[in-house]
Amino acid sequence: MATFVVLAVVMVVGALGVVLLKQPIHAALSLVGTLLALAITYVTLEATFLAAVQVIVYAGAIMVLFLFVLMLLNVQDAGPRRSLPGLRWAAYAAAVVTATAIAVVAFWDGRPAPDPAVVSLHLQGGSAGGIGDALFGELLLAFHLVGVLLLTGVVGAVALVQRRAESAHGAPKGGGLGAGRDASGTKAHALGSGGRR
Amino acid sequence: MNVPTEAYVALSAVLFAIGAMGVLVRRSAIMVFLSVELMLNAANLAIVAYARHWAGFDALAGLTGQTVVFIVLAVAAAEVAVGLAILIAIFRDRASTDVDGLAEVRL
Amino acid sequence: MNGTWSDPVAWAALAPLFALAGALANGFFGRRWREPLPGVVAGVAVGAAFVVSAIAFVGLIGRDAGVALTLWSFLPVAGLDVSVGVVIDALSATFLLVITGVGLLIHVYSVDYMRDDEENARYFALLNLFVASMLVLVLADSLVLVFVGWEGVGVCSYLLIGFWFRKKANADAGRKAFIVNRIGDAGFVLASFLAAATFGTLTIAEINAQAGTFAFGAGVLTTIGLLYLVAATGKSAQFPLHVWLPDAMAGPTPVSALIHAATMVTAGVYLIARLSPLYAQAPAASAVVAWVGVLTALIAAIAALAQTDIKRILAYSTISQLGFMFVAIGVGAYAAAVFHVFTHAFFKALLFLAAGSVIHALHGEQDVRRMGGLGRRMRLTGATALIGTLAISGVPLLSGFFSKEAILGGTWNSTLVEDYGSRLLFVLLLATAGLTAFYMFRWYHRVFAGPSRLTKDAAAKVHESSPLMTVPLMLLAAFAALAGFLGLPSFAFPNWFKDWLAPALAQVPTLHPPLWVEWLLVLASVVVAAAGLFAGWWIYERGKGAIAAKAGGGSLGRFAEGGLGFDAAYRAAAVGPAEGVAGGLAVADRDLLDRGIAAGVTTSSLIGRAVAAWQSGYVRLYALAMFLGLAALAVVAAVVGGRP
Repeated sequence: MATFVVLAVVMVVGALGVVLLKQPIHAALSLVGTLLALAITYVTLEATFLAAVQVIVYAGAIMVLFLFVLMLLNVQDAGPRRSLPGLRWAAYAAAVVTATAIAVVAFWDGRPAPDPAVVSLHLQGGSAGGIGDALFGELLLAFHLVGVLLLTGVVGAVALVQRRAESAHGAPKGGGLGAGRDASGTKAHALGSGGRR
Repeated sequence: MNVPTEAYVALSAVLFAIGAMGVLVRRSAIMVFLSVELMLNAANLAIVAYARHWAGFDALAGLTGQTVVFIVLAVAAAEVAVGLAILIAIFRDRASTDVDGLAEVRL
Repeated sequence: MNGTWSDPVAWAALAPLFALAGALANGFFGRRWREPLPGVVAGVAVGAAFVVSAIAFVGLIGRDAGVALTLWSFLPVAGLDVSVGVVIDALSATFLLVITGVGLLIHVYSVDYMRDDEENARYFALLNLFVASMLVLVLADSLVLVFVGWEGVGVCSYLLIGFWFRKKANADAGRKAFIVNRIGDAGFVLASFLAAATFGTLTIAEINAQAGTFAFGAGVLTTIGLLYLVAATGKSAQFPLHVWLPDAMAGPTPVSALIHAATMVTAGVYLIARLSPLYAQAPAASAVVAWVGVLTALIAAIAALAQTDIKRILAYSTISQLGFMFVAIGVGAYAAAVFHVFTHAFFKALLFLAAGSVIHALHGEQDVRRMGGLGRRMRLTGATALIGTLAISGVPLLSGFFSKEAILGGTWNSTLVEDYGSRLLFVLLLATAGLTAFYMFRWYHRVFAGPSRLTKDAAAKVHESSPLMTVPLMLLAAFAALAGFLGLPSFAFPNWFKDWLAPALAQVPTLHPPLWVEWLLVLASVVVAAAGLFAGWWIYERGKGAIAAKAGGGSLGRFAEGGLGFDAAYRAAAVGPAEGVAGGLAVADRDLLDRGIAAGVTTSSLIGRAVAAWQSGYVRLYALAMFLGLAALAVVAAVVGGRP
């Protein structure tokens, strides 16, 4: 129980950090902390393989990717907050409501607790073998589809960041979701004005 | 099992809500993305908790649930890759990654 | 007493049809006709009506009862059977002759008077329509048909008063007449309801027959009588509904002569005379009639003293004379009242037509302060006007003298209103007769005698009117002079008129004082008339009107000129608030419409804009929407949820 509480606190704090920290790098690192705590939580939930995968894939690959992009784009998140007043409070309210409601559903909709021994027996500690049985057994189709998805993702990602033939000044024609970019004018227009469509 | 499943679900809900808040509050597209990842992980937590719960009643349920999470992880990875590529494509030539600036994106 | 068409008397029922035919002809085709064809057509129509009326009159001489003809059944319902029919007896025959006879003369006169008016055809169509309605009124055998004629003359009066409607004052006058008449009409309708409920019928003959079976002074009879008095008050311009008649002078002068002197205004007198058996049984109601009459007579006479418009003086005079008639029917002297209607039609129409002749000669001048000495320039008009003036003043041996004498005698000797101050009525009426002589002398003197106060170019153009106008004047003057001999004072002489009307009217017992009392009364009226004329002569001829000018210029004089404040009072009490309400409603309506429509527009555009806000293109807004939806779903799940 104590473990859970500690982990829970760490996760929540980390999550809040993601949302509230001003510097993007700080926020990303906060998320990494949350993810690591989550991995440990998986261990307590007898999903050891998953914990390992979480660390390797999520914290190790995805977050690294994020950090790369953050550094590449030199993201600044401190912009003026004028265009949508009331949004923050609406968001806070909705968040509180949602969390509360789901928790309520969970607790009120209680089912009888399972027998730990049986759980351990069935989960086999969440080892790779068990996962493998399920993956190549019942979820075989999903496994293959994920493979296709990953391939698509790779191809897509590469294609998206390709630049077509362009001048050295870096004004590409087309390429990506061009927001009506003309030769030069609209860029300045797109900045910071946040005007309506 | 001294920590009931409901506790994990409640925790998952809280993380999810915080993530959603982040999606709405953050101005930069990449930070929004980050928050989305948080939401995804919250969902994963919930699935794993329930997998353990049902493992007590069904032989396959537990492991299947964990495998699902595994697949979700893979999907998330692919999604992040493509999403970041999109963001780079959009914001490469703009000075800011302001999400509100996307209001002028014509689809 | 059901007649048949083979009886010549019954042919008088065709009279309204002739007039109606004239009206329709002029109404549809008149515009295309060149003058004087519209006038000729109208005159022929009325002439035909006069012919059948004369035939009926001749046919009725010597007969005791009249002719009643049921034309068709109109409203046969259980409890009330109304049919359309006519009654041609002495009373209706008298009125028929007056309406068609005087009407014919006025039509002839109008041909010249309205000669260059562009709407000549409309005038004659309306004039014929009026005659048709009036004939229906006097021929009707049931109160329903009377009401049809009643309303018809009201409408025609409105249309003719406002004949030159392009001038606002004229249209207003027409409207005023109609609205005030309407108040009277409400009384008529209420009375008819009560009569139908009480007697179970609306046929006049049956009502009169049943009236005798009620107790003398029965409450229901009194109520019916009072309500019909309200109706008569409106139509005959009695206090307090007299205010429309002076303004009605806005219409063409022949209209004033026909409608507002000889015929329409006597409809009230006719109605009460027709229902005389009912009134004879209701002394309270009759007393009210008499007192209304005398008050009206007095008020109008005082007002006439201060008027400066040649026609307004005559208008107030008409009101006053109608008051005399109401006194007569109130005290039970029904024949005297009808006699006065008869003579008044002649001399009042004469006076109006003379005034019209003057106005025509002076090209529209109507202010007596700018007239004077016209008797020397317009000899015929002046002479006939003098006869009319003397007749109305009650100079002996002219018609007015005899009819006024009948009324005064009947008032003094009345048993019907004996307990309601008949002697006081007499005194007041006598005083009014004196005033009448005085203001009529003033009228005559200001217009026809004395020094000329004409403007330069008016004086140059003045001339006697054409024969089409002067011949009717002369005929009317002859009647005004001689008609009185038909109704010599009944206490000493054979009164042919009274005997002629006897079968048609209720007979109310009267006092029979000794002969010298009766002669004294005659003398009193002669003295009073002489005094009035002398006073007029003294002030206006001898004193050149100086005293009058001083008196008339004061506040009392202005009060009298303003009709003793009635118009102002009505304006403050009724017209002002009504206009206020109408104005308020107009403003509210405009605001409602304006604001309502604008609000609708604003609301739609607000809604539109609110909805459009969601289409902003802001992804965060979309995300918020999704999140809110999720929160809502979660709440729903929490509330409803599949709890075991």
